[in-house]
Amino acid sequence: MNHARLKIGFAFATVIVSGISTPSYAQSVEAGTIIQNTAQATFSSPGGPATVTSNTVELTVDELLDVTLTSLDGGAIAATPGNQTLTFELTNTGNGPEAYSLTANPAVAGNDFDVTIDSIAIDTNNNGVFDPGVDEILTGPAITRSLDAGEAITVFVNVVVPSTVADGDQSTIEMTADAVTGTGSPGDVFPGQGEGGVDAVVGSTGATATAAGSLVAGITTVELVKTQSVLDPFGGTSVVPGSIVTYTITANVTGSGSVADFVITDAFPAGTTYSTGTITLRGASLTDAAGDDAGEADATGIAVDLGTVAAPSSQSVAFKVVVE
Amino acid sequence: MKILKFITSVLLFAAAPAAMAQDAAQPITLEADVKAVVETTAADGTKQVELVEPGTIVPGDRLVFGTNYMNGGTEPFNNFVMTNPLPAPVRLAPDADADLVVSVDGGTTWGRLAELAVANEDGTSRPAEHRDVTHIRWTLAVVETGASGRFEYPAIIR
Repeated sequence: MNHARLKIGFAFATVIVSGISTPSYAQSVEAGTIIQNTAQATFSSPGGPATVTSNTVELTVDELLDVTLTSLDGGAIAATPGNQTLTFELTNTGNGPEAYSLTANPAVAGNDFDVTIDSIAIDTNNNGVFDPGVDEILTGPAITRSLDAGEAITVFVNVVVPSTVADGDQSTIEMTADAVTGTGSPGDVFPGQGEGGVDAVVGSTGATATAAGSLVAGITTVELVKTQSVLDPFGGTSVVPGSIVTYTITANVTGSGSVADFVITDAFPAGTTYSTGTITLRGASLTDAAGDDAGEADATGIAVDLGTVAAPSSQSVAFKVVVE
Repeated sequence: MKILKFITSVLLFAAAPAAMAQDAAQPITLEADVKAVVETTAADGTKQVELVEPGTIVPGDRLVFGTNYMNGGTEPFNNFVMTNPLPAPVRLAPDADADLVVSVDGGTTWGRLAELAVANEDGTSRPAEHRDVTHIRWTLAVVETGASGRFEYPAIIR
């Protein structure tokens, strides 16, 4: 590598071969970058100023294998039996392109229940949400495409929560990403296996990363209790024509999570007539008309739309009928 | 001008003549080399630093770039100024000699790093840092006949 003659007479700036700019997507110099160093000297000679240039020493930067993996869920996901998705971010923190092998371990010590791993997927359309049919499912072995140095991708782990879980049960899923070139102790070398044939070197991460995602079962239970009280025309509690019967339906929502589209309906018993305008929710009156508030009544019964109800809570709906 | 990293030890030119930057017209020769800095920890916990031929190198690794000069001519030469542009993929190591004469603007202005500033985009400036150094320069008033020496600087791969 004696480049001396080529350099003589050129301004020294010409030996900066890689440009001043740093690589666009990584702080680190990319694998395969050539580092060239040349010194140049000027001095006075009898024939005038003279210049001499050294040989150029040249080094090629090898590939560092590093990776980080982080859960993007921000805590345990409230889960119900069935399909759930855990989200992770995988970043190639090495300085060369690298693919990673992904494994998800559902059987972590301390789990109240273990999920079943359904699939591992890549967020193909980069929207942060698993889209069936759009996002690429990695079929075993789950190996990502090659990620550029500094590139990060979102990884989904789709799991199935068993139907046997009880409210509050927790489960941790451990995700691991290994550099496909290899893992090991920092400094381990895989000769010639880096980008463009340079050596690949295990970085400080060991070229492997793990991250945990967790689920907590939010099982919501709804219990309805219906009671009645009777007031007869004489101030007593006998059921006679003209007696007013007040029905109270109490909905106890227990556990955790919430129930959606929760509507309480009740039909008027045969032999009674609805006493108009008597629907109450938690003691407050509702109209019989549909659409203006949560309550409505028609010829056959009442309905109160509670919408989404978070547990734990208790809701009571009441209405009155008159015995014919 | 202070002479830095000036080593008057006998150099091994004779051992590697083929690798030298010979130039028939130039009595002064420059011979560049690079070493990797390897720190090893002994069993008793003491750390040793060795300079070795670069093997595998990755970002964060430490290198020492050196240039040996020799006046093989028959007369002394004056005003010897050796300039070494830093390769872009490396930065000057933070523990480099603070008295090195450097440039942070591509060789236009020179000084000790502590005396230099770098212009910000908004027109203000900030003190120059090791990572800003683009060139290093060493100056000798005279290089006597047969004199030789070595200049070197430590660098870290970006």
